Amino acid sequence: MTPDLGFPVTELSSFESLFAACAASAYGVAMRLTRSQADAEDLVQDAAFLAHRGFASFMPGTNFRAWFFKILLNSYYSSRRRERSRPVTSDLDDTPDLYIYARSGEAGFPTQGPDPAAQLLDKLGTERIVTAINRLPEEYRIVATLYFMEDLSYEEIAQALQCPVGTVRSRLHRGRKMLQKALWQIAEEDGIVRQPALQDNA
Amino acid sequence: MSRLDRTNCEEAFRRLDDFLDHRLTPEELRIIEEHLEVCAWCTREFNFEASLLHGVKRKLRQLEAPPDIVARILSRLPRTPEAGS
Repeated sequence: MTPDLGFPVTELSSFESLFAACAASAYGVAMRLTRSQADAEDLVQDAAFLAHRGFASFMPGTNFRAWFFKILLNSYYSSRRRERSRPVTSDLDDTPDLYIYARSGEAGFPTQGPDPAAQLLDKLGTERIVTAINRLPEEYRIVATLYFMEDLSYEEIAQALQCPVGTVRSRLHRGRKMLQKALWQIAEEDGIVRQPALQDNA
Repeated sequence: MSRLDRTNCEEAFRRLDDFLDHRLTPEELRIIEEHLEVCAWCTREFNFEASLLHGVKRKLRQLEAPPDIVARILSRLPRTPEAGS
């Protein structure tokens, strides 16, 4: 949806109209990357500046959103290159397949019906789902954000990340599993589902 | 009978992500759909994963950017060049 700028978009020059059409989603992605409103706006501003400056290299008729996200991600990486080189470890790494499906059954949530996960997701709400995305290690968080929030294809994500489609596929596969575990952890922490009783080691 | 019968649930499951993301070839899709027709167990798992996936997408896409962010950012940019020029 085109945001309300206070004047008709048709009067805007091409960069402005293309940017206006994807700025809200770019901000959403930036929020997931930086986890801060101020930093997210700064990041989109930096990317808009670079995109504006390099707009002559954009081929009209190609995918502006994927082109802009590539610049956004490059801006993000260069702003925190040092942190990026740190090895990432996460307790989400070893998540088995069908994690929520298996746990839902144990916790009494539906596992069948027309929309079986809806009850759990409604109880979690959007904010907790965002929190779960934020818990993913960065490389998975970025792919998951582009996939879940923007509905970019594997090819568009690969273009934005400048990596092979196979890398997108494998990160997305692991990222989805990690997200399931993160969602369940949050559901336990917030009492939406009961935490398993601690084992008695005595 | 499908090539993916009840003994091939594992093979169907390996294609779950591609199935959910509409990345199967027509032939692969046909094979999976035939398997799902005869395998209630896989059907339940596939339906649950689809419900979870679409539900998360739906929730996350309700998030909105601050209403004035586009105008604010554009106001800080210099005058615009034309694409491909």
